[in-house]
Amino acid sequence: MMKTLDRARTKRVAALVLLAFALVARTAAPAPAAAKAEKLSPPQGWVAPDRQRAIERAHENVPFVSQVKDECFVCRQQRLRNEGYGIDDITDACFLLDSPIIKKRSDQYMPVRFMHSKHAAALNDCTVCHHLRPADPQGKETSRCVACHRQAFDPRHPDRVGLKAAYHLRCIGCHEQMHKGPVDCLGCHDKNVPDHNRLVELPDHPKPSQVTVECLRCHKRQGREMLKTAHWLWRGNSAYTMGRRKEVQSGKGTNAVNNF
Amino acid sequence: MRLNRRGFFKVVGAAGVAVAGTGQNAGAWHSKAPKDPYGCLVDLTRCIGCRKCEEACNRVNRLPPPELPFDDPTVLDTRRRPTDKAYTVVNRYYTGKLDERSKLVPTFVKIQCMHCQDPACVSACIVGALTKKENGAVHYDVGKCIGCRYCMVACPFEIPAYEYYDPITPRVMKCTFCYERISKQGGLPGCAEICPVEALTFGKRSTLLEVARKRIKQDPARYLDHIYGEKELGGTSWMYISGEPFESVGFRPLPAEPIPRLTETIQHSLFSYLWSPALLFALLGGLMWSTHKKQNTSEKGGES
Repeated sequence: MMKTLDRARTKRVAALVLLAFALVARTAAPAPAAAKAEKLSPPQGWVAPDRQRAIERAHENVPFVSQVKDECFVCRQQRLRNEGYGIDDITDACFLLDSPIIKKRSDQYMPVRFMHSKHAAALNDCTVCHHLRPADPQGKETSRCVACHRQAFDPRHPDRVGLKAAYHLRCIGCHEQMHKGPVDCLGCHDKNVPDHNRLVELPDHPKPSQVTVECLRCHKRQGREMLKTAHWLWRGNSAYTMGRRKEVQSGKGTNAVNNF
Repeated sequence: MRLNRRGFFKVVGAAGVAVAGTGQNAGAWHSKAPKDPYGCLVDLTRCIGCRKCEEACNRVNRLPPPELPFDDPTVLDTRRRPTDKAYTVVNRYYTGKLDERSKLVPTFVKIQCMHCQDPACVSACIVGALTKKENGAVHYDVGKCIGCRYCMVACPFEIPAYEYYDPITPRVMKCTFCYERISKQGGLPGCAEICPVEALTFGKRSTLLEVARKRIKQDPARYLDHIYGEKELGGTSWMYISGEPFESVGFRPLPAEPIPRLTETIQHSLFSYLWSPALLFALLGGLMWSTHKKQNTSEKGGES
């Protein structure tokens, strides 16, 4: 009994010593660590293989399904269960919902990264999304969304929603129903921020005031809002700043030098 | 020939009846609705209130930037109407419907010009600045407009707005149905193009009616069996389907009769062949003649 306790203690001590060493090494020699990190970061333009695959997949040409099988939802659910469709049949864990069909009309946000496997594992029911199958018996049981849902308002298939709406209706509808997952734009999408390298026009060594002016050229509203924030109007003492708790009169509202 | 008072009224009365009869025949009201217009179907059960339609409308029509940004959700706290700076607005209604967690479920309603099949504003416009186009749009021509704002009074949906702040060149402002855009092959209105959930479906009006009927039939629990705009005021190009009663989400019940039917019938039966002014002047003339005659005889009597 004592022996095991002792062993545990020595282990713990050893771990602590190692941790201390690691900390000392990190603080003592930051330069080599930085160099290592640089070495580890991917080279410019490198894309992770699964992401590359997702991008390619998003741009693949999928044959159009014009006719779908007339089948009740429960029959389909039961049949797929009987045939044993499940997570094992998934080929790609993650998709990038970045079809050119959507891009053609609007390009407001970055494409959604959809975790196919994760959703499949959580639901354990393919028919929630793969709600119909092609009428052609040779067709795939779980066709992609884009096989049926293409451009919006197709007069040949007026009752079929477009791809963008199909995604949104299915995702938001399900998330709302299950009280799980995001239902707002930025919950799934990243903002499609334009490349500011092209937009910003500044001399080589700009003054701080020049930078502010340049930002305000487009972000006027944010500038006005900033003037109403505590950051700008602060006059009290800095309760949470070490060493300045009692000193009052410093801040943007009073005596700050860079008060532009 | 001597015309006494009784004779005079007989003649005038007969003429009046005859003219009124022909007038009614000539003035029988015909709908001037386009045969195969475009339309838009708004599915209120789909709308998520993101206001992207407002944003797209603002961009497409080059309207001035709004006071509050389009992603500010507090805008929905007040009920709004389309203005001269916003052709379309989304309002939020709580009808008392609860979800399974006893939270109120909002219904979002996008409003804009309904582009009536027989628009009251077009009928009211005295200079023809407003016209109903073949593709369904109620089009406003600023060059013809004299700023009388009869269209604003006539509109049963209270849609047209006016640039009151501009003293020199004010315009009537209302949804254009993106007339230029939809005139092009494959063109879409800005709002319908951007809608992320296809709460707005653009297409031929006849097709949309079929789509709407199919949706209601396939999911009768989700929808009320009423397509607002199918029959209202003789039909509108923009139509709505909803899961909540239309009265509870800001739509007023309207008759199936197009508004211009009554007003134009009155107008045309009163003024066809100018019979009513002719009658009026005939009556006045008759009155003058008879009184003048009486005066003449009395004067003559006075002299003798």
